[in-house]
Amino acid sequence: MLINAEKVKRNKAIDKAARMFFLAMALLSSSFIVILVLFIFMKGISPFLPNYQYGTVNLIDFLFGMTYRQDQKLYGVGFIVINTLISSFAALLISLPISVLTALFIVKIAPKQLSGLMQAVVELLASIPSIVYGVFAAGVLTDFVKWLASLFNVTTAGGSSLLAVILLLAIMIFPTITSMAITAIGAVDRDLEHASLALGATETQTNFKVVLISAKSGIFAGAILGLGRAFGEATAVSMVAGNKLYGPTFSLFDITKTLTSTMLAGLKETTGLDYDIRFSVGIVLLVVIFGSNWLLNLVKQKVGNM
Amino acid sequence: MKAYFKVRDLDLYYGEKQALNKVNMDIYRNKVTAFIGPSGCGKSTFIRCLNRMNDLIEGCRVEGEIMANGEDIYSSKTDVVNLRTRVGMVFQKPNPFPMSIYDNIAYGPRCQGLKDKKKLNEIVERSLKQAALWDEVHDRLHESAMALSGGQQQRLCIARAIAMEPEVILMDEPTSALDPIATSKIEELVDELKKDYTIVIVTHSMQQASRISDYTAFFLLGEVIEYDLTSTVFKNPSDKRTEDYITGRFG
Ligand SMILES: Nc1ncnc2c1ncn2[C@@H]1O[C@H](COP(=O)(O)OP(=O)(O)OP(=O)(O)O)[C@@H](O)[C@H]1O
Ligand SMILES: [Mg+2]
Repeated sequence: MLINAEKVKRNKAIDKAARMFFLAMALLSSSFIVILVLFIFMKGISPFLPNYQYGTVNLIDFLFGMTYRQDQKLYGVGFIVINTLISSFAALLISLPISVLTALFIVKIAPKQLSGLMQAVVELLASIPSIVYGVFAAGVLTDFVKWLASLFNVTTAGGSSLLAVILLLAIMIFPTITSMAITAIGAVDRDLEHASLALGATETQTNFKVVLISAKSGIFAGAILGLGRAFGEATAVSMVAGNKLYGPTFSLFDITKTLTSTMLAGLKETTGLDYDIRFSVGIVLLVVIFGSNWLLNLVKQKVGNM
Repeated sequence: MKAYFKVRDLDLYYGEKQALNKVNMDIYRNKVTAFIGPSGCGKSTFIRCLNRMNDLIEGCRVEGEIMANGEDIYSSKTDVVNLRTRVGMVFQKPNPFPMSIYDNIAYGPRCQGLKDKKKLNEIVERSLKQAALWDEVHDRLHESAMALSGGQQQRLCIARAIAMEPEVILMDEPTSALDPIATSKIEELVDELKKDYTIVIVTHSMQQASRISDYTAFFLLGEVIEYDLTSTVFKNPSDKRTEDYITGRFG
């Protein structure tokens, strides 16, 4: 007999056990996330509650304030949000086209060996810890900024500046976006390319008008991931941002302050309100990240639904 | 009756492996020529020689001569891009670009540098009408082509090829992914199109070949066994192997 009733029963039991196991794992990991978010939110909301032990902070002043200094008990993150948006989007603006062109080169244009080598390099870059990027930025990028500023007769705070942050972030998100773009471009159906070439399009026309267009939703996902990394990068950014107390910073050579560098600066030496408020800043950071993702996904749907 | 393609002693190799062996064939203008034969006999390989799509396959080598409209297409002087604007192609699987219907049709002309909106509008309308798709899509030209049915997508691909105003349209099993109704629409279309174009079609369906083609070539193991008027090939084949194949005794 082909169908063994005993065996079918056993397989069903195994199936059920496996399902339970996966469910348990999923519950466990999602409960971690819930606990994490709850903890941050409870901590972060506490400074705004009426009975807060170190003196209640006004939520409006916090969200829209344009000065952040501990010594005067002024905690306004409005300008910091703007700074963060500026530096991250500027980094994306620089990195995205370079990443996409690099990915296109690696997948479609470079000879096999070079393409393999370059892809390995991109993967390597993605795995370098941010502190290493930070050291590089503090040692090299700041010198570059100083030199550039001197051409305009501007003095900088030792090269720490908005520009240094932007360049650093652009470099750091490059491997993220590039590897996503490589995957997206590699996944484009060869049939589409052949169709294009059979219509008398050149290789270059095909690459730009068909391959990139077809890969755009994957590339967009890479951009969102890269932007997330830029928003969330703390260590390296703190090393070149400076510590601007008010703002927002629009001048490339001026020092700046991002949400992450605000959370990180002096974290170990502080207590009380100055400690708790960092969780509030963390919530703002999460909102900024989710908000940007949501916005970009809207855009993605608008342009990417073909 | 003039030949558009004159193929002389064509050999083709994929690396070491020979896939076409001494193919000789004249393909006539404004006729439908069908290629039949068992799987792996070289039909696709041969049709891809006619617009040099084989150039894209690594390790593919061609010997012999193909004259298209009096020009040796494998000569070093031939511009492949230019050749492909004259010899269009429709593939087995419908492959519209992920863009609007309009942009799909306008793609080829735009790649040739045509920007004039009015001209493009005309081309899109004319091509879609010729491909018998206009009535179904004229009110949603700017919606995604991916939303069309398989049969509509294939007619869109034909319209896209027509938009280039080619002299020849090559079709490699254009209906094998389609249902019978969509298939018969494409067959009607082919019949209509041969007034203006030279058509070469690969098919696995004997009925299709006999219904729509004027000439039929029977391929076997990389060789052309028989090439003649379709009526002759089907009613009065001169080679035993052709007869065996069309009567379904092998393949
Ligand atoms: N890209 C390629 N590289 C190497 N060999 C190939 C390639 N394409 C086809 N071949 C070989 O060449 C021979 C002819 O293949 P071809 O695709 O032309 O056959 P076909 O007649 O179109 O078959 P089908 O009816 O299945 O489409 C086959 O033996 C096939 O394995
Ligand atoms: Mg084939």
